[in-house]
Amino acid sequence: MFNLPNPQIGGPELFVLEFGDIVAYFSPYTTVLFAFALLFTIFVIVSRPERQVDIAFGGDAYYTKEVEPGLLRFQRFMAIACGLATLGAMVTGDVFNFTLFASLVGITNIGIVAAYRNRHVLNAAFQYGIVAMLATIPLFGGAAIVVASTGTLSMWELFTTAVTVPLIAKAFLVLGVMGEGMAPFYIAKAEITRAQGAPFILMVHVSSLLLFLRVMEIVISM
Amino acid sequence: MTPHRSIITRISATISRVENLTGLYALLFVIVLVFGLITLPSISYHEDPLYPKTLDPASPLDPYDRGGVPFGTTPVKSQYPENSPYAGYVTAYLSPFSQWLADTTLHMGTTIVAHPGGIIDEILYNTRGFDTVVETSILFVAFAIASYLFRRDD
Repeated sequence: MFNLPNPQIGGPELFVLEFGDIVAYFSPYTTVLFAFALLFTIFVIVSRPERQVDIAFGGDAYYTKEVEPGLLRFQRFMAIACGLATLGAMVTGDVFNFTLFASLVGITNIGIVAAYRNRHVLNAAFQYGIVAMLATIPLFGGAAIVVASTGTLSMWELFTTAVTVPLIAKAFLVLGVMGEGMAPFYIAKAEITRAQGAPFILMVHVSSLLLFLRVMEIVISM
Repeated sequence: MTPHRSIITRISATISRVENLTGLYALLFVIVLVFGLITLPSISYHEDPLYPKTLDPASPLDPYDRGGVPFGTTPVKSQYPENSPYAGYVTAYLSPFSQWLADTTLHMGTTIVAHPGGIIDEILYNTRGFDTVVETSILFVAFAIASYLFRRDD
C-alpha cells in the first residue's frame, strides 16, 4: 500500500508500521540509525558506572569517588528514556511526531546532566536548558508552517514532488534540532564526559548525532 | 593576552565560553527569522487543511466541542482513513453521565478532563493518538526531573 516517494535518499522502505495517520517506516538508512540507537540503549541498560580515582600529585594520597545509588538510578532512567525517544525519532513518518520526539530527547538530555552537583556542570546544564527551551519555537514553528502551507504533516505526502515545503519551514526544523541537539557542546566544554556516571553521558552524544542525521534526511527529502 | 590574534583565534575564543553559546544560537535564530519574514509573502495558506477546526462558543462543551454525535457515526478527515476505521468518535466518547451534565449545565467544558470519557477520548482519538502518548511522556519526564531534584536532599 505504501511506497516511499523518493527512494534515492534513504533507499526503499523495508517495513511500515501504521499508527493511524502516523505511518512509521524503516528504510535502509533509518534502519541503520535505529540499530545504532538500539545498540547504545542496550549498552546503557547493562553497563555499570565508572568508579573513578583522583590522585593527588606530590604525595601518596588518592580520593575514590562514590556514585550514589539514587543518582545512578535516575541517570540510567533518563539515559534509557533518551534512547527510547531517539528510537522513536528515527522511525517516525510524521513531521509533528518527529518534533515531539526531538523535544523529548532535549528534555531527557537536561535530565541526564541535571543530576550532578558540581557547580560548573550545573551552570552548563542551565545554559543548555535555555537553548533547548528557545529551540522549541523554531522546532514547532517549523511543523506549524509545514501544516499551514501544505495542509498535511505526513512525510509520505511531503516527500512527493507535488508538495513543495517552504524553505523557511525546513530552516526552522534544522534550527530547532540544532538547539535540542546542542548538548554535546556543553558536555565537552564542562568536561563531564569523564565525570561520575560516565557511560550514561554517551547517550547525549548518540541522540544528538542521530537526530541531526535524521533531520537531514527529512529536509533533503522534502 | 597577546596583541596580535587572528580572527579565527578570536572566534574560537568566543565560542569556547559556554555562556556565549546561548547568544550565538539566539543570533542564528534572529537571522533565520528575518529571512523567514522576507520570504513570508511567498508562502500561501493551504485552503484545504487535513485537520479542520471550528469553534462554537455557544456550545455548553465550549472549548472542547470538536463536533460529532454521541452514539452516532461522524465522518472525520484523516490522511489515511484505512488506518483508522473508528476515527471520529471524539465527542462521542462522552459517557451517559457526561452527556447528562452537558445537557443540563453549562460547566461541562471545565470538568471534561476530570472523569472517564474526558481525557481518555484524546488518547483514543486514533488518527493522531501516538502524538498524545509522546506529549504526555514529555510532561512525565519533566515531572520526573523536577521531583528528583526537589527530593534529592531528603
